[in-house]
Amino acid sequence: MLYVLRRGAVLVATLLVASFLCFLLPYLTPGDPAARILRARVGDLEQDPQVLEQLKIEYGLDRPLVEQYLSWLGSAFRGDLGQSFTNGTEVLPQIVRALSVTTSITVLALVLALAVAVPLGAVAAVRHGSPLDAAITTVTQAFVAIPEYWLAPVLVLVFALQLGVLPSSGWQGPASLVLPCLTLALRPMSYFAQVARASMVEVLEAPYITAARSRGLSFAQTMMRHGVRNSMLPVLTLFAVWLAGLLGGSVTVEVIFAVPGVGRLMYDAVVNNDVPLIQGAIIAVVGLAVLITTLTDILYTAVNPTARVDHGTA
Amino acid sequence: MALLETTDGTPEGAVATPTEKTPGSLAQRRRSALPPSLLVGATLFALIVILLVLAPWLEPHPPAAQDITARLTAFSAEHPLGTDHLGRDVLSRLLDGGRFSMTIALITLIICAVTGTLVGFLAARLGGVLDTLVMRTTDVLIAFPEMVVALFLVAALGTSDLTLVLALCIGGWTPFCRLARIVAMEINGQDFIEAALALGCSTWFIIRRHVLPNALPPLLAHAALRFGHKLITVGALSYLGLGVQPPSSDWGAMLAEAVPYLDRAPLLVVAPGAAIFLAALSVTLVGRGLQIRQTRRDS
Repeated sequence: MLYVLRRGAVLVATLLVASFLCFLLPYLTPGDPAARILRARVGDLEQDPQVLEQLKIEYGLDRPLVEQYLSWLGSAFRGDLGQSFTNGTEVLPQIVRALSVTTSITVLALVLALAVAVPLGAVAAVRHGSPLDAAITTVTQAFVAIPEYWLAPVLVLVFALQLGVLPSSGWQGPASLVLPCLTLALRPMSYFAQVARASMVEVLEAPYITAARSRGLSFAQTMMRHGVRNSMLPVLTLFAVWLAGLLGGSVTVEVIFAVPGVGRLMYDAVVNNDVPLIQGAIIAVVGLAVLITTLTDILYTAVNPTARVDHGTA
Repeated sequence: MALLETTDGTPEGAVATPTEKTPGSLAQRRRSALPPSLLVGATLFALIVILLVLAPWLEPHPPAAQDITARLTAFSAEHPLGTDHLGRDVLSRLLDGGRFSMTIALITLIICAVTGTLVGFLAARLGGVLDTLVMRTTDVLIAFPEMVVALFLVAALGTSDLTLVLALCIGGWTPFCRLARIVAMEINGQDFIEAALALGCSTWFIIRRHVLPNALPPLLAHAALRFGHKLITVGALSYLGLGVQPPSSDWGAMLAEAVPYLDRAPLLVVAPGAAIFLAALSVTLVGRGLQIRQTRRDS
């Protein structure tokens, strides 16, 4: 219980840090924020000092910083993240739409990665020390060093330009999901396979595996009931880590394949200096990421109480 | 050697397997030999570093020299890897661009490793409030994906080398801190630390003389693995136009420039990507090799 409370405190602290930094964003950049808002509105370099003063009062920019932060945080809590500088629409619906796109490709990519990695890790673990094991280990280690912004154009070259079977970019229909998901899946797949292998090598040496075999369970049954199931915990933990990380980490892939996800949204917002959109997107991504990691940690300790001691002192 | 042979008659020696009995046997030689991944990785890495250091003398052309009459050409004696969309020599640009990526990755790695290790050691040594504070700080920082931090910093400070280094360092020290702390706590529990404390050694002395030497191997392996990660992230930011700024260039920026010509000159995309891959692979192999050597020593 104490552990859950502490994790909750970290979650709240993270959100407060993220929100405060995002709130500070317009003040960190050189120049007067009010002047920038006015420029974004009317696109005029000549600014009337009186209008500027009025705008400051309207936006509360004349009040102390802490007061401004609290009122900004209050409206953010009510779901009002302001309007985009570039198209004047509400920020929140845009972020929700983009997040759903990113979440779907991320989950799809990670499930694909898991589906390939677990059998691969299992085969390597069963043939522990064999040339096949060495090959799988070497290949998955090498895959980790492949940058996704290199893999993406190469996949486009092969599947879109040479074979012409898949669209090179865009967001129409399930076919456009394939290349972004493949690109996103490669690195997590390699890590999952390495962890699955290491975890399963350990499990296969456990006495209950020998016991199961001597009870007359076939090799396949033993693997399914004991081997795979018992070695999945570290893999699933890593799955959650990647899920949280890819929400903000899929920027390059989304930009390359023109996927309308939250990474692309953030990137465009930064390029256009669209402050409310940057603030909203960052808070959403960090918030979701910290929520996922917190839930994973709590679930993990619920399944495996010894981890709590480790964490408590650690 | 003689000592080992005389102990052969003892019960322990009797139950020992034949490979353990004779020193210099295959098993022992395997244990002391360098793991192949370490050897291959270190060789590859050394080769890349030498090429990049000698770049100014090796480049066949100035990397920024344009030749509009020879745009997007294939291999030739004059341009061993062809030319890009502005007629610049690809080999020269590869050699020149790598210097930027590797330097930034190395600088950030050193900052992260030193800061993280030091903070981790201190947290483990002093414990209490400081330890809690450090651990909760890393908990918070880990929630910020590197890319999000980078985008935020670019929005706040604009693009510059400093932004790039900051983006990679703000969260980058935390994995080192956690590892250093765990390793240090293990070492702190041992008798020789107790002895050093009893002798009145200072915290700093204990960290320098006892904790650091024992914690170094796992930290070095971790650093090598993180180096590859940093290289890839530097490339990603440059690819997005948030890293290296023109007229300088690096592998990620070269890749981004080449993508529009993917169908006409695929090598333009393949070459810088391969450079990042090989550089990242070399350090990853070194890291794995160091880890393997460590587990062999421990067993």
